[in-house]
Amino acid sequence: MTYTGNVLRVNLGTGKAVKEPLNKEWARDYLGGKGLSIKYLYEELKPGIDPLSPENKLILMTGPTTGTIVPNSGKLAIAAKSPATGTILDCSIGGHFAPELKFAGYDAVIIEGKAKNPVYLFIEDDLVELRSARELWGKGAHETEHIIAETLGDVVTMAIGPAGENLLPMACISSELYRQAGRGGIGAVMGSKNLKAIAVWGSGGIEMPDIRKFSAAMNKIKREDTMTDDNMWAYSDGTPMIVDLCQSTGILPTRNFQDGTFAEHEKINSDAVKNTLKAKKACFSCPLACSNYVRKGQSEVEGPEYETLALCGSNCGISDLEAIIEFNRLCDDFCLDTISVGNIVGFAMELTEKGVHDFGIRFGDVENFLKMPGLIAGRKGVGADLAEGVRAIAEKYGGQEYAMQVKGLEIPGYDPRGSWSMGLAYGTADRGACHMRAWPAAVEAFGDIDPFTSEGKAELVIGMQDDNSVKFSAIFCDFWALSTERMAEILSLLLEREIDAAELTKIGERIYNLARLFNEREGFARKDDNLPERVFNEVLSTGFTAGKLLPKKDYEIMLGEYYRLRGWDENGIISEQKKKELNL
Amino acid sequence: MKALSFNAEKCVGCKLCHLACSAQNEEVFNPRLARLIISSYYDREGLIVEGQVCDLCLECVEACPVDAIVVKNGRLSFLEDLCTDCGLCADICPNQVIIKKDKGIGICVQCRSCSNWCPTGALTFEEVEKL
Repeated sequence: MTYTGNVLRVNLGTGKAVKEPLNKEWARDYLGGKGLSIKYLYEELKPGIDPLSPENKLILMTGPTTGTIVPNSGKLAIAAKSPATGTILDCSIGGHFAPELKFAGYDAVIIEGKAKNPVYLFIEDDLVELRSARELWGKGAHETEHIIAETLGDVVTMAIGPAGENLLPMACISSELYRQAGRGGIGAVMGSKNLKAIAVWGSGGIEMPDIRKFSAAMNKIKREDTMTDDNMWAYSDGTPMIVDLCQSTGILPTRNFQDGTFAEHEKINSDAVKNTLKAKKACFSCPLACSNYVRKGQSEVEGPEYETLALCGSNCGISDLEAIIEFNRLCDDFCLDTISVGNIVGFAMELTEKGVHDFGIRFGDVENFLKMPGLIAGRKGVGADLAEGVRAIAEKYGGQEYAMQVKGLEIPGYDPRGSWSMGLAYGTADRGACHMRAWPAAVEAFGDIDPFTSEGKAELVIGMQDDNSVKFSAIFCDFWALSTERMAEILSLLLEREIDAAELTKIGERIYNLARLFNEREGFARKDDNLPERVFNEVLSTGFTAGKLLPKKDYEIMLGEYYRLRGWDENGIISEQKKKELNL
Repeated sequence: MKALSFNAEKCVGCKLCHLACSAQNEEVFNPRLARLIISSYYDREGLIVEGQVCDLCLECVEACPVDAIVVKNGRLSFLEDLCTDCGLCADICPNQVIIKKDKGIGICVQCRSCSNWCPTGALTFEEVEKL
């Protein structure tokens, strides 16, 4: 089996690090990544804790594919209780950290407690050290990574910036400058523990039977199933290609979701980004290389991804690509989630224009737009309010009906009024409004399924949530559209036991239900599986979705059907029978 | 003879070449046991992509005092029985792609695992005029 069998448990309060065996039974039921980290948190966290207290735990979790030659297996899950939502939170970060951790000899790291002073964690095989981060505290993630590389040499680092230190609910964790564990304030959990960075170096490797035969089989799969037309959009364009898809289907968030098309979309679409391209870049073991390293004027970044182009571009009425690239770079350095920040700035612009509260910024105002990441990350000026997120801003100043969030997490770049399934996906995602738990727009708004009906949407969303739960636990990258059968074929070889698609689907269902159970324990129920009123009451005005909204009664129909198919009661509570069936 | 050639402009830094090499030659997935060093990272100036590969300069063949590295059928070949673990070949290799092991060394034998795996054509085998 391709687990190392070791978990590194580090208590920042006592400074002690111990190596303990991975719980094999849990690994069988939850694989790794998302599922296994949620299992550890469910078992180890007391209900009701403050996510920013020393009682919260930060878990870094690899999976059975990590470190092997399996295509697109380079991701790491990072999980904790979310400071933004109070729900379970698992994030996914690419780059090279996950395999390096495995080469150092660990499947996972569990970080507990709080350090008295700022520290960073250095893991070099069996050597585990907490080092002073006094000199690093206050610095951006980019400078932090450079200094650690100059100090320690050939290591892979994850770091937080000022946003994490200042405990912002949209603080992320950065690695290799431009890769982020983005959502839900995972960076604030690190900040609350006085943990500035984690650096790892591993000398080991991963062994398995018939490794040459396995490699040959994977190379065939890479050629015939990974590097195919279904997936190579990642290399040819990357996520910026979604700008035109959303524009043509009328779901591109524009001026704080007041519209679903952006007149200047051609200035921020894939062709525009390609004109700035310097190089393509990949995560470990990925042949698809979705990342675009771009430069325009004085600004450079690995990005901007679709979500940034949408939330920080059209959603803020900004069409100046150079400004978006610079905004993206600033957010990455300060460690701000561009989805949440773009959504927040768009909300502030609308509140200002409507005269609800003057944040000193209006749609399309590039000059003030570029000041926002610094103000927000530092909680300075208007940033002091904006740093709390749209839910808190709306509670303080109003505009609740167009505060575009679910459970306190800002909505990403797909307007539910032109993709009803996305509405259901946001409402039922385990960490608040998220497009990665299920991304049904791909087959619905962008595919052949009618986006303006509730029919069949519950089944569609459930299937995707369960599949992705397996994918993010194995771990495979989202951008390889591989079948559950293919996952089963690969995992059978890695785990050295027969595992079929049906078993994987059951594991996916178990993981999704455990996440729900965690949230249920925190008091979440149907009342929280809701969308902002704008989606139900305001029609979009241009393009394919002109005149469209998502009627509340249709949303309620989808949600009711979703609960029924899930085996949850009318209030969204998991039935005893379902818990028994899933061994929860 | 055909030797490995690296084109930095095409490389995306996925390390599949390292994994393919270590699996084929050491039966383990361990990038640090690969007989090539391809790196793609950011320093303060921006993205750096660098590659060190065996270009069949044959300095190791000349340096080996016991003829444990030889050219056979257009490829390098390592004869472990003859090796005295002096380490001269690894020290002299201009590209630093010979791995010192507990017993013997690891040397690029032009097996082509790396180029077979490279998704972008950044690694290719090109004719070199030697011997």
